[in-house]
Amino acid sequence: MFGYVVRRLMSSVLVILLASFAVFAIFYLGPSSPAQPVCEGSGRACTPERLANIEKSMGLDKPVLEAYGTYMKGVVVGRDVVIGAAEYDCGAPCFGVSYGTRAQVTDELKERIVPTILIAIGGSLVFLTVGVGIGIAAAARRGTIGDRVMVSGSLLVSSVPYYLLCLLAWLYLTLKTDIFPTTGYFPLSDGDPFKTFTGLLLPCLVLGVASSPVYARYSRGQMVDTLGDDFIRTAKAKGLRGRTVLFKHALRAAIVPIVTIFGLDFGTLLAGTIFTEKIFDVQGIGVWGLDAIRPPQDLPILTVTVLIGAVFIVVSNLIVDLVYGVLDPRVRLG
Amino acid sequence: MSSGLSVDELDGPEGGGEAERMDDATPKTSQVAGRSPTRIALSRLAKDKVAVVCAGILLLLVLLAVMAPFICDWLNIYPDQKDPDAPTPSEMLETGGIPSFGPPNYPFTWDHPLGIEPASGRDNLALLLYGLRTSLTVAVAATVVSVVVGVTLGLLAGYAKGVVDAVLSFVIDFFLSFPFILGALALAPIITSRFGGDQDTLRRAELYSLIGILVLFGWMGLARLIRGQVLSLREREFVQAAQVIGVPTWQILFKELLPNLVAPIVVAVSLSVPAYVAAEAGLSYLGIGLTESPSLGKTVDSATVWFQRYPLYLWAPVVTIMIMVIALNLVGDSIRDAFDPKTRR
Repeated sequence: MFGYVVRRLMSSVLVILLASFAVFAIFYLGPSSPAQPVCEGSGRACTPERLANIEKSMGLDKPVLEAYGTYMKGVVVGRDVVIGAAEYDCGAPCFGVSYGTRAQVTDELKERIVPTILIAIGGSLVFLTVGVGIGIAAAARRGTIGDRVMVSGSLLVSSVPYYLLCLLAWLYLTLKTDIFPTTGYFPLSDGDPFKTFTGLLLPCLVLGVASSPVYARYSRGQMVDTLGDDFIRTAKAKGLRGRTVLFKHALRAAIVPIVTIFGLDFGTLLAGTIFTEKIFDVQGIGVWGLDAIRPPQDLPILTVTVLIGAVFIVVSNLIVDLVYGVLDPRVRLG
Repeated sequence: MSSGLSVDELDGPEGGGEAERMDDATPKTSQVAGRSPTRIALSRLAKDKVAVVCAGILLLLVLLAVMAPFICDWLNIYPDQKDPDAPTPSEMLETGGIPSFGPPNYPFTWDHPLGIEPASGRDNLALLLYGLRTSLTVAVAATVVSVVVGVTLGLLAGYAKGVVDAVLSFVIDFFLSFPFILGALALAPIITSRFGGDQDTLRRAELYSLIGILVLFGWMGLARLIRGQVLSLREREFVQAAQVIGVPTWQILFKELLPNLVAPIVVAVSLSVPAYVAAEAGLSYLGIGLTESPSLGKTVDSATVWFQRYPLYLWAPVVTIMIMVIALNLVGDSIRDAFDPKTRR
């Protein structure tokens, strides 16, 4: 068990390092210098000499590995960031300073991550209740018309591309009609928690409904398998109520694979719900990264979004693997 | 979230290869001919009404995409203004970029059945047909390449054991835990800045790099599936027999093992085409996919602001993407059911 955890941890760290290095290298080795936007953005003409000067001051003339080393060291202990003529004191964890706004990336990350986390939590609450609920209901009515309607309905919903669902919901439920209030993220610090809630309500609902078919399919399949087991027959035979059998006995045994896909999905959601954020105008991590690639490109922001995304996905993978052993006693981690 | 690309839950029929070869040898008229898993699956598919209807719709869409230039010629419509015969934007638009024919301000006209794009004056039907073409080209190309890559690496990883397997498995895990859209985000600006000058080179570069990005983040599912299958197949007698009589390794991989993997490959293909269609339109919608070629996703993006005044402009590409993706998904699902030995209907 211990050896397994150590091995998994090591490979997780390796994946995170490689992913962030990949983004770093892509920009470094790309055709235009990452310093180009800084040079152009300063108002004066961007001559090759000025560009070279700026690159030198930012440390971009060094080999890519060395620059990456400096960056990662900054994440751990903090560093001084130089952009052009200006110098910024960037405390640990330092992810650099935005080329565009000159704001500390770490500070903005803390702000941007809140709506993304809220959407991820809200959306998963919806798809867990709706998806697993439909799955259980369909399994309990296996073979009836109700079952078939639920199965084919969820297949149909899962076939529609997610962003179209989002777009149509936004256009027709908030702009054309007033069924849902204006969406967007209104920070809790504004002192109006109700507005925060209503602003994120539709994004969470759409995200939840669009993701629920996967859960419906998995939980139905698992429940159908489990409901055929002997211990369910025993439970029924000793006179337990149908609901108790369904939720306490069957669901407990069927939940393991659902937890697995939930863990992986949740990590992916935290890595940025780009479509949801862009369409519903929520200023989260995904939109942050998307805006950073529009010229003028902002390398520090892009690096941090990929880094954070990889961390969330890798960590959720790790947690799923470890929790698996706890939930399912048959799994031996070796 | 990424529906379609995960194919872990599939079970391939085992020993399909031998059965298939036997089947080819027996004449078709014989009463007791053994049926290969592939043939069983095909006969099941033919009986599946949903699959047949969806396949019909897809055939129509493919025909429309293939015939796009002829249809546009015939209707005298143009997807861009570079064509010398195409009308200039000023002929088609009033002030403010509003079309001077057809919706939203004028009645329907057969000259432009789906109206004219505001601001650019291009014909919507022509854009739609060419968008369909782009979308299917990208999806098919990405599917073919990712299947070749996935199958080859999966076969290698499963058959090689040891260091090769460990390295390949790590690479698979690495790409699986790399956020896909963020990867596309990081790669998109590189391409535009490298080929920024020339419009035509940029267009082609975008197309190839989009296919490349889709493949880069799309081959792992199949590779992992194939690896798992090969791990169990390689211990079977027919493989061991081939090893003993000295059959070269590549021949074992592609002639002995590959025919046994037809079912999972077909299923993976049928489910990855809709995923790629959706991904192409989605990335283009975000502005990080195609910007120069006609793309349904791009049209959806520019039509969003017009949705109140000119709904047809938005709905035509939206409905087209939906029909295409839903039909592809339903066919894919039927194919998966048909190849699954556990469903006996």
